[in-house]
Amino acid sequence: MRIFDPHIHMTSRTTNDYEALYASGVRALVEPAFWLGQPRTNVGSFLDYFDSLLGWERFRAAQFGIRHHATIALNPKEANDPRCVPILEEIPRYLVKEGVVAVGEIGYDSMTPAEDHAFSRQLELALEYSLPVMVHTPHREKLAGTHRTLDVVRESGIAPGMVVVDHLNETNVEIVKDAGAWMGFSIYPDTKMDEQRMVAILSRYGTERVLVNSAADWGRSDPLKTARTAHAMLDAGFTADDVDQVLWRNPVEFYGQSGQLILDPIPGFDAAEPPNATAGFEGNSVLRGARA
Amino acid sequence: MTASPLPFSLGYGTNGFTDHPLSVALDLLAEQGYGAVALTLGHPHLDPFAEDLAEQLQALRKTLGELNLRVVIETGTRFLLDPRHKHRPALVDEEAASRVGFLRRAVDIAAQLEAECVSFFSGVLPDGTSPETGWQRLTERVAGVVEYARDKGVLLAVEPEPGMLVETVSDALRLRAELDNPDNLRITVDIGHCVVVEPDGIRGALLEAGPLLANVQLDDMRPHAHEHLPFGEGTVDLPLALGTLAELNYRGVAAVELPRHSHDAPGLATRSIAALGDAWAESVRSRESERWLQESTTAVTADPSTLTTVFAQAGRRLGRTPLYPDADPTGVLFGTTSDSARGLLLGRLGELLPPEEFALALSALYDGGDSAERRGVLRGLATLAARSPKLPDVVVIAGLRLTTEALRTNESGLVAAAVGPFAAAHLDQHSWRHAVLKLVFMGVSLRAVTDLQERADDELARMAGDFAAERTAAGRPVPDDVTLLLATSSHSTTF
Repeated sequence: MRIFDPHIHMTSRTTNDYEALYASGVRALVEPAFWLGQPRTNVGSFLDYFDSLLGWERFRAAQFGIRHHATIALNPKEANDPRCVPILEEIPRYLVKEGVVAVGEIGYDSMTPAEDHAFSRQLELALEYSLPVMVHTPHREKLAGTHRTLDVVRESGIAPGMVVVDHLNETNVEIVKDAGAWMGFSIYPDTKMDEQRMVAILSRYGTERVLVNSAADWGRSDPLKTARTAHAMLDAGFTADDVDQVLWRNPVEFYGQSGQLILDPIPGFDAAEPPNATAGFEGNSVLRGARA
Repeated sequence: MTASPLPFSLGYGTNGFTDHPLSVALDLLAEQGYGAVALTLGHPHLDPFAEDLAEQLQALRKTLGELNLRVVIETGTRFLLDPRHKHRPALVDEEAASRVGFLRRAVDIAAQLEAECVSFFSGVLPDGTSPETGWQRLTERVAGVVEYARDKGVLLAVEPEPGMLVETVSDALRLRAELDNPDNLRITVDIGHCVVVEPDGIRGALLEAGPLLANVQLDDMRPHAHEHLPFGEGTVDLPLALGTLAELNYRGVAAVELPRHSHDAPGLATRSIAALGDAWAESVRSRESERWLQESTTAVTADPSTLTTVFAQAGRRLGRTPLYPDADPTGVLFGTTSDSARGLLLGRLGELLPPEEFALALSALYDGGDSAERRGVLRGLATLAARSPKLPDVVVIAGLRLTTEALRTNESGLVAAAVGPFAAAHLDQHSWRHAVLKLVFMGVSLRAVTDLQERADDELARMAGDFAAERTAAGRPVPDDVTLLLATSSHSTTF
C-alpha cells in the first residue's frame, strides 16, 4: 500500500514517526505552513520557518525514504498580528521553489478584516503563480466559516478544482462538494473526524476529490491515521484500488496541478507497491462485504 | 524532461556477424532494435561476383523492407580481390583495375538495394610510392567511379583510415577538392579512428565533415592502436559523438563496427545498443543542460533580477538525478545534475558580472535558497576555485561565509558540497580539519574532499585518532575513512 499524507506537520514530529510512517506505506507528504503554538512576533521568524520546511525538514524526511513537499502562506491566526503581516511581501519568492505545491494554509480563524485581507491577497498569489490553494476551515463557527470561505474563493476567480477546503466533517462536506472544490478530512484521535466517520462519508459521497490526512502536529494527534483509515476502508468493503485513489492518486492529482510534485523514490529506498485490486490485504479478501 | 528519439538510424556491421548467415544476422539485429545494417560485400554474406547476384539482391531487398532496415554498402573486405594480400589491390596501387571494377559493382549493388551509400577507403601506399603518385592514382580512379555512381544515382562516401593515404577528414576534403567537389562524393567517419588520427578528435572531425557526412561507424578505440573495441573499452566519448551527430542534424546510418568480434556477435549487438541508448540519453541531458546554461546566462546578464527564479527552476528543467550514479548513488558526494548546472551557471556569471555584484548574488542565492540551491551555490564556488587560484577578495569573503554556514549544518549534501576546491584553496586549516572530521562523523565518504592528501596534517590525524578511540570505547565500529586519515599524517602541512 502506498500512502500520500496531504497534510502533516512533520516539524513537530520525531524520527520515530518518520520510521512508522514509512513502515505504514507513506512515501510522500505535504507539510503546510501553519502556526507553531507559540505565536510568532516578526517576519524573520517566518523566514526561518519557511526555509526549514524547504531545507532541513525535507532533508530529514529523505533520510527516512519520504518525499517532503510544502505549502507556504501566512496562516489566518497570525494574519491578525500586524508585526507578521509584512511576510506577505516575502511569500512570492518561496512560491517558485521546488516542492512548493500550494499556497496554504490560508482561510479563516476568527473571520476578522485582517484575515479577509490576507486570505484574498494570497488567493491572488495562487492565481499569479498557478498554484493550488489549501484552505483551512475554522474550528469555531465551522459551517458559517465554510460558507464564507467558498464565497471568497468564488469571488477570487480561482478554479474550484485548484482548491482544497480542509478539516471538513459531516456538516460542511456537501457544500464543498457542490462548489466543485476538493474535500479535505483530518482524521484525529478524538476531535475533527475519525476513521469510521470518514468511511461513512466516503460511502455516502464517494471517493472522488477526497483527500484524507492526519494533520498530525504538536498537539494530540496520530501520524498513522492515514494508514488506519485505509484499513478501515478495506474492512468496510472498499477495494484496494479505492484506497489507492483516496490515499495516493487523489493527492497526487490535486497537488500535481502545481507541476512541483517529486515522486520518484529516494535513492536507496523503494516505492511502495501500488495495490493489486485482485489480491487480499493483510489476510482480508478485498471484496468482503457489499461495495457501498 | 522526456527522452527524444535519435534523429539518425543505429545499425550494425555484418562484418561483425561472420559466424551467422546473413538472413539470421538481419533478423537478430531487427529484433534487438537496430534500424539499419552496414553490409560488407564478399565472404561470407554476399558474393558480389555470384552468378545469381540479381536474384540474391532481389530477395535481400525484400527482407530489408520487411525488417524495416536501412542499408549502407561497405567495401572493406580483406581478401576479396587478392587471397594473399589484405585489402589489395588498393586505389593507390600501380595496378588497381580489379579494385575499380569492384567499386563499380558495389555501386550497382547499392542501386539495386536502394542503399544509402557505398563506403570505400583509399588504401595504404605501397612501399616506395611517393604520396604525390598516390594522390594522382587515387584522384584519377575515384573520378571514374564518381562519374559511374552519379549515373546510377548512388552516393559514394570515402572513409579516412589510420595508416592510409586518406587518413583524416581533411584528407577526404582534399580528395573532394581535387575532383572539384562532386556532389555525390561524401564522407564516412569512424568515431574510433578519430581518437587515433584526428587532430581535433571526434567532435572536430564530425564538424569538419559537416553536411558531407554520409555514413558513420561506431566503435570504441584507444588513441595508440587502430583496434575496434566494444563500447566502454576505449576512450571514445560516445555521448559527445552522438550529440555532435544530432547537432549536425545527421539523418543517415550510424552502424557499430566490430569486425573482430563475430564470436560474440549477438551479445555485443545487445550490449552495444544498450550502450548507445545510455549514451544518447546522456547526450540529451548534457545538451539540455548546455541550453539551459546559455539561456540563463543570457537572461541574467540582460536582467540580473531574473537570477533568483532561473536558479530556483534548475531542478525542474534538468532533473535531480545523481551526477555519478555508480560512484555516488544518492548524489550526496558529488551532487546532482541540477547542482552541477547551477554551479556551472555561477561559474559563467563569475566571469561576466562585476565582482561586487557577483558576491552579493552568491550571498542572496544562498540565503534565499532551499538546500538544493545552496548546494548549487557551493558547487559554483567550487567551479570558480577549480578554474582560478586567485579570486576577487569580495568573492572569497562571501564564499567563506557561505562555506562556513554550510559546514555548520547537519545536512550531509551541504557539508559534502562545502569541502570542494573552494574550501581546499581558501578555508583556514582549523575549520578545514573540523569539516573533514564532521564528514567522517556523519558517515559521508572523504571522496567528497578536494586535496585531502595535500592538506591533511598531524593535528587532523590526532583528531581522527581520538575519534577512533571514542568509537572503540563505545563499542561502535570505526569508519574506514578514519584509518585513511591516520595514514595521511606522515607529512605536516602549514596553511
